[in-house]
Amino acid sequence: MTSSALMAFPWLSLLLAIPFLGTFALLLWPGEPSPGRLRGITIAVLSAQLVASLALLLVFDPGHAGMQLEEVHSWVPSIGLNYQLGVDGLSLPLVLINAALTLVAAICTRDFSKRPRIYFSMLLLISGAVNGAFLAENLLLFFLFYELELIPLWLLISIWGGSQRAYAATKFLIFTAVSGMLILGAFLGLALFTGTVDFSLTPITSERLAMGSQIVLLSALLVGFGIKLPLVPFHTWLPDAHTQASTPVSVLLAGVLLKLGTYGILRFGMGLFPEAWAQLAPGLAIWAAISVVYGSLAAIAQRDMKRMVAYSSVGHMGYVLLAGAAATPVALLGAEFQMVSHGLISALLFLLVGTVYRKTGTRDLDALRGLLNPERGLPFTGTLMIVGVMASAGMPGMVGFISEFLVFRGSLLAYPIATLLCMVGSALTAVYFLLLVNRAFFGRLAITPASDNPVEDSRLDIQLAPVAPRETLPALALALGVLALGLVPALLGHWSEATTTAMAQLPGLVALIPAGGVG
Amino acid sequence: MTAALPLPIQLVWLIPVYGFSGVLLSLPWATGWVKRNGPRPAVYLNLLVTLLAFGHGSLITLEIWKRGAQHLSFNWFSAADLHLSIGFDLSLTNLAALELVTLLSLLAQFFALGYLDKEWSLARFYALVGFFEGALSGLVLSSNLFMSYFLLEMLTLSTYLLVGFWYAQPLVVTAARDAFLTKRVGDVLLLMGVVALSALAGSMEFTDLYRWAAQAQDPSQGTGQLAPLAGSLIGLGLIAGPMGKCAQFPMHLWLDEAMEGPNPASILRNSVVVTSGALVLLKLMPLLRLSPMATTVLLVVGTISAIAGALVALAQVDLKRAFSYSTTSYLGLVFIAIALQQPAVALLLLLSHGLAKALLFMSVGSVIATTSCQDLTELGGLGNRMPATTSAFLVAAAGLVGLLPLGCYWCFGLGVQAIWQAHPLFAGVIVFTNLLTALNLTRVFRSVFLGAATPKTKRAPEVNWLMALPMVSLTVLVLLTPFLMARINPVPGIGAFSLPVAIAVAGSGLVGVGIGSLIRLDQFWSRSIQQPLRGIQDLLALDFYTDKIYRATIVAFVAGLARFTNAIDRQVVNGVVDGIGRLSLQSAENLKLSVSGQLQSYVLTVVIAIVVLLSSLTWIVGEAVR
Repeated sequence: MTSSALMAFPWLSLLLAIPFLGTFALLLWPGEPSPGRLRGITIAVLSAQLVASLALLLVFDPGHAGMQLEEVHSWVPSIGLNYQLGVDGLSLPLVLINAALTLVAAICTRDFSKRPRIYFSMLLLISGAVNGAFLAENLLLFFLFYELELIPLWLLISIWGGSQRAYAATKFLIFTAVSGMLILGAFLGLALFTGTVDFSLTPITSERLAMGSQIVLLSALLVGFGIKLPLVPFHTWLPDAHTQASTPVSVLLAGVLLKLGTYGILRFGMGLFPEAWAQLAPGLAIWAAISVVYGSLAAIAQRDMKRMVAYSSVGHMGYVLLAGAAATPVALLGAEFQMVSHGLISALLFLLVGTVYRKTGTRDLDALRGLLNPERGLPFTGTLMIVGVMASAGMPGMVGFISEFLVFRGSLLAYPIATLLCMVGSALTAVYFLLLVNRAFFGRLAITPASDNPVEDSRLDIQLAPVAPRETLPALALALGVLALGLVPALLGHWSEATTTAMAQLPGLVALIPAGGVG
Repeated sequence: MTAALPLPIQLVWLIPVYGFSGVLLSLPWATGWVKRNGPRPAVYLNLLVTLLAFGHGSLITLEIWKRGAQHLSFNWFSAADLHLSIGFDLSLTNLAALELVTLLSLLAQFFALGYLDKEWSLARFYALVGFFEGALSGLVLSSNLFMSYFLLEMLTLSTYLLVGFWYAQPLVVTAARDAFLTKRVGDVLLLMGVVALSALAGSMEFTDLYRWAAQAQDPSQGTGQLAPLAGSLIGLGLIAGPMGKCAQFPMHLWLDEAMEGPNPASILRNSVVVTSGALVLLKLMPLLRLSPMATTVLLVVGTISAIAGALVALAQVDLKRAFSYSTTSYLGLVFIAIALQQPAVALLLLLSHGLAKALLFMSVGSVIATTSCQDLTELGGLGNRMPATTSAFLVAAAGLVGLLPLGCYWCFGLGVQAIWQAHPLFAGVIVFTNLLTALNLTRVFRSVFLGAATPKTKRAPEVNWLMALPMVSLTVLVLLTPFLMARINPVPGIGAFSLPVAIAVAGSGLVGVGIGSLIRLDQFWSRSIQQPLRGIQDLLALDFYTDKIYRATIVAFVAGLARFTNAIDRQVVNGVVDGIGRLSLQSAENLKLSVSGQLQSYVLTVVIAIVVLLSSLTWIVGEAVR
């Protein structure tokens, strides 16, 4: 095939077709396939999706900043809804993360007891919808995919969740539905005010709008995506959703779905309203700093490992907003890195917490001790956990460090105070995750007998069922990814730099970067 | 230019790789995949790569000796205006430090083979030491601040894992935690400085930074001059990292607790790790001109550390802790030398302290390995039972104290000579620290090696050859330190100080030894019943209550803030959400009762709502479009 034929192939539609057709195939599969077979089909479909996503790297031109591989088909022209797809350096890494993490979620699914057919088809549906949202170049199309991912996730939490799943799922649904309403409202308002009926990303612009209405529309978008991100004080759905969701769903939620919020903020908030963005940016930086410090402090006080990781997400997604507010080329590249890094690291941490929960039956940091024990404990899980928490705390050599460094380096001159506060948040990350490792993995592996004698020696040694090497493969793969991107950041920077640099030069944003020093 | 350089120099990037490859090579045994022949193969592989690193370093040193200093740089990551590179500064100073690091690492690893003979996770220990050595050897050669920070953080991680090596013991758990968090606080402050410098100066190479700092201070430059506040903050951030790494007051607590880790790691930690922190500070020295405040802080911190560290060491009954505080004390002297712009003195002191302290910890390790005891009160009479260990201790002590003409004597002489006219106070600090250290070493020597044998030492044999060989080799090396120093720093010569200075240094050492020999030994550990003395004893033995102060202030503050945030989160933020939920359910319940069934009122409500919505919408659109 010649290169032009390669370019003409509808790669992006293929990325939507694979998971959606997989969903239908699973739902319509004849007979009563065993759960194992359903899982096998899902893994096959997702592997195909991963291969197709990786194939994008062959046809994607990293030196080009704008949308590539575009596909435009008229769909419902009367309301301005076009089937219009495109990929650039902002969305490409996220599409890859989506494919990889959904595959991980499918592989690490172990509980087949309830409706496996619906479970696996929902997994595929989410992956397809997320791909659609990342690739959509039409506001209404984005919104359709954004909402499409909501119901399957609600089902995944409310059917396969923990004991409080109804509360958590409803909370998630209401929050996210409000988020969708605000986003749709902002999109419609933009069209209404500018008098256009074309919702395509490229021609639509806020230039002719009065600043006041720009700010109103941008605020609606910010709150809408801020719920998804999540930013304080719209975050309370996240810890509940995570603690009630099963491990694969948590992996998806933290690794992929939160990125819809940051992606939306950068693509639509900053991209469509650069002037209003420049006006609001100082406030956004403060909001980011509050979110980071608040999330980190709340994480210190948690006793449930999963809740702790969930609050760390609140903290770490704040960095993306800080970088967006600063909007320098380095900061925006840092935002991209942070999205990928958080996707990999939080997925890794949720996998490992899931393993601990499966083997010990608890996630309570007051109860767990000494899991690193080489013969009776979970030494390999513990080792990977140390890798995961260190990466999250920004240890050099892992992807968390370079993303934080880029974010801080890019934002410091623009917002010194907010950036320094975010760095304090990074120090607090080390505190809570170190406490997690120290409490759960160090010490002596034992349980206190029922008499509750506080004397250490009265404890009973216990033997945990070992983790099969095969089961650790997904976590190992993620850990290796964290290390690879941390040691060779160009692996990621190569694909995104042109786009993030171009984003920083949006007219209206450029005036934002101050010339002054630190103060 | 690079093509013309000989192969060993071109391959300098392999130097840190040797250590890191030791990690990978140890993995099959550390993870237990290979169990058949025990973990020894991992040890041999690690010794081999360390030997390679040392050999490669020596080749480079020879080449550099011939050609003069070289600089090699490899691009690591570039984005927009940010360029991060892996840079190696091949100066004789850096290479001497590299040789010190790899040699001590080799000796310590050899020693560990004997010390940790029956340890089940020997391979894990060697993997960690390999990691440690890789980061250290890269750090001493690094030519840019970014890479230095990168590797310093890796050192923090490896220190955490090495201190936490015996993670099942409760004291180890807290020690590892404190080591990591203390250093991490220093590292984050350093990161703030690094990020600020990167953003302001553009480049991270030390040479570019020096140029930028000179420019930013130049009053003739109208633009680009740095605000004094920013300069001070950056300076404070930059010294915070080395402060944590060098265990200076008030961030010294971790080094003492880190004694819970295996002794071979303590050898490295007390010699080369603290040295690496000080080397980073030395490289940052020209930048500190931006910040007079940072220099003052360095002086204050160095003085407190030097004297308080030496005093606290006097009151310890634990063999290892008595000397870990002495490390804090000596690094305090190095800080003073750096703050007073005496880099040569600082370097020589680092070299002689590193070698002597490593030997001291080997000797202490031998005692602990033989007697399984590190309590001074339970030891005694080992002098004629363990001759090699005893001589190692004596040589190390002589190397540390300014009395006999070994390493530190010349350093103290040079230091006092250089500063006593301008800063007599700090010259006094050096002399006083020398006195206290001599006192401490003498009293420990008396309790461990002299006197009657105790039940624990009666049948103590000399250590096996695996421990004796590195110890004796290092003993010889410490004896040769003055010649090494003379080779490295020929001008103005290591003896360039006046007779009064020489007498002051040797006299203070002699007084220390004298007091240490005369005083009754049990006075060091028995608590006096007389109040002021008892209070002072407690104060020193418990390290000025530093851990309690920390627990009452910073730890309590952060924990309280975390609990407060969590309470707000549960009660207020989540409470509002739940409240809205309850409110809507409640109002729906109430509205249900108000249903009248009258069609007219329904239609009226709908019409009013439409009118309000449409009119407000038209108004907004009219306002919105410019």
